[in-house]
Amino acid sequence: MINTKELEKRWYKYKTKSFLLLFSIIAIVILLIYGGYYILYKLDLNMDKKEITKPTAVMSAVKRVEDKNITINKPMPIPTIVKEVIEKVEDKQSDIVSLSPTIPIIDLESEKAKDITKEKVHSKKTIKRKETYRKKHIEKRKKLIRAKESDYLTAKELSTKKHKILIKQDKKKIDFKRTTSNYMNIMKEKFNENKNPREALLIAKAYYRAGNYKKSEEWALKANNLDKNIEESWLLFAKSKDALGKKKEALKILIAYYNQTKSAKVKLLIEKISSKSI
Amino acid sequence: MKRSKYSDIKNIFIDTVNNDNFVELETTLFNYHILEESLDKPLKMILLFGKPGTGKSMILNRLFHNLKDKREIHYFEAPILSEKEFLKNIYESISSQSIPPNMRVNFDGLLKYCQKLKGKREIVFLLDECQLYSEALMEKIRLLSDTRVVKFVITLHKTENEDIIAKEHFKTRIWEIVELKNASIEDLEIYIQKKLIKKGFVEVANMISKKDIKFIHTYTKGNFRETNKFLYIIFNIYEYYDIYNPEKISGTTKLSKKILEMTAIKIGYIHD
Repeated sequence: MINTKELEKRWYKYKTKSFLLLFSIIAIVILLIYGGYYILYKLDLNMDKKEITKPTAVMSAVKRVEDKNITINKPMPIPTIVKEVIEKVEDKQSDIVSLSPTIPIIDLESEKAKDITKEKVHSKKTIKRKETYRKKHIEKRKKLIRAKESDYLTAKELSTKKHKILIKQDKKKIDFKRTTSNYMNIMKEKFNENKNPREALLIAKAYYRAGNYKKSEEWALKANNLDKNIEESWLLFAKSKDALGKKKEALKILIAYYNQTKSAKVKLLIEKISSKSI
Repeated sequence: MKRSKYSDIKNIFIDTVNNDNFVELETTLFNYHILEESLDKPLKMILLFGKPGTGKSMILNRLFHNLKDKREIHYFEAPILSEKEFLKNIYESISSQSIPPNMRVNFDGLLKYCQKLKGKREIVFLLDECQLYSEALMEKIRLLSDTRVVKFVITLHKTENEDIIAKEHFKTRIWEIVELKNASIEDLEIYIQKKLIKKGFVEVANMISKKDIKFIHTYTKGNFRETNKFLYIIFNIYEYYDIYNPEKISGTTKLSKKILEMTAIKIGYIHD
């Protein structure tokens, strides 16, 4: 009879060998496929890069921020405003940019103080405007209602009265302010409940659309603090800054964020803001 | 010692030249009939050739058993390498007389004796493993066949030498050539199934699938001798498990792939 135990050992040895062989073949095939794909993809990417990198002023500037050691043979002309921003960024920004980018710290209190003075000036102007409007309105009314204290009115008086009534009837006011504030309240309540960065972003967007850039900036920051990966929070924050007249800060933030993500949207916004300043 | 049903099964595949073991396959039957018919033709010599293990000896053996009662036929199973012994055996077969040990057969005398029998008798000699005969002896076989009293059916291995032998000794002779080839997958399946069913192991025959046959054929190339060896070892392993580790093969309705591979390792087809 055959020594089956010995034969079994040989069989296990053979199986191990054939498994390893199969495994190595599969690994080689995968590597080849992956390698081929990588080479093709890289070639494709290089082609794209050649097409895309028609060096714009901002891009070349961003490149310089990105890597100080790389010397560009033919530097593109950089607009002065962007140059200033970049220089400042270069000065302040640490060489190692963290992987989870954070919005540069902004002193909100000083910002608030600035805004208060602005608001004061603004409110003074509006008070003046309101007063003049009230005076004019009173004068108009004086002119309009000069009816006798009798039950009968003249044809002229009647027409003025009618006109007034008609005007009053036409004006069906919709309280936009009230509806938007309702929306905001609901959204804020929602946000307070679940602390969802998306809701904070929606609020920020609503404020931005309403022209309240201060608030939109504040809510964009809130959204960003909760989730740094939401690109829109960065964009909205920068746009709000820009709308508040803080272009340099907006650019600084965007450039720092662009260095991390190389996002096309961010690049576009950088170009947009910088071109405005040019 | 304990016995297993696999002990009997493995013995079916012991390579023996036995008429009972002959499996009627389409191709082998076809070759057999050509050979049988050619014996009735006025041929001096008939050549049966093929690679070792293609069933030459089996056909020769079957031919002898089927015709021994119908005609004068003699079968030299093992080659007789000594010329003296060979001529002695030929003479004794023809004359049915035994020669004393101290005497030898004179070849010229044998030729004359055969010529005298011309038209009266026709004697067939079946010679296996002729590649082992010397050239001188082959020449004598040729001369004997020229008498037309003695007919030879010889088997040769399909080797490089066979052409030389054919050219030098037999090229001018009128003869029939039957070439035997290795079995195809289909033939091999029938061969194995028939062998098992013939001995009453239908259940075991059903265990062997087409896939298993393909596996066996891959290594044996359809060679009957190699196939017998392969199956003998398969059932030898089954026998071992049946006696010492029955749980390893209990409830199996198919031939184990592991055992097939173990067999291939054992024979040396697979290197571990």
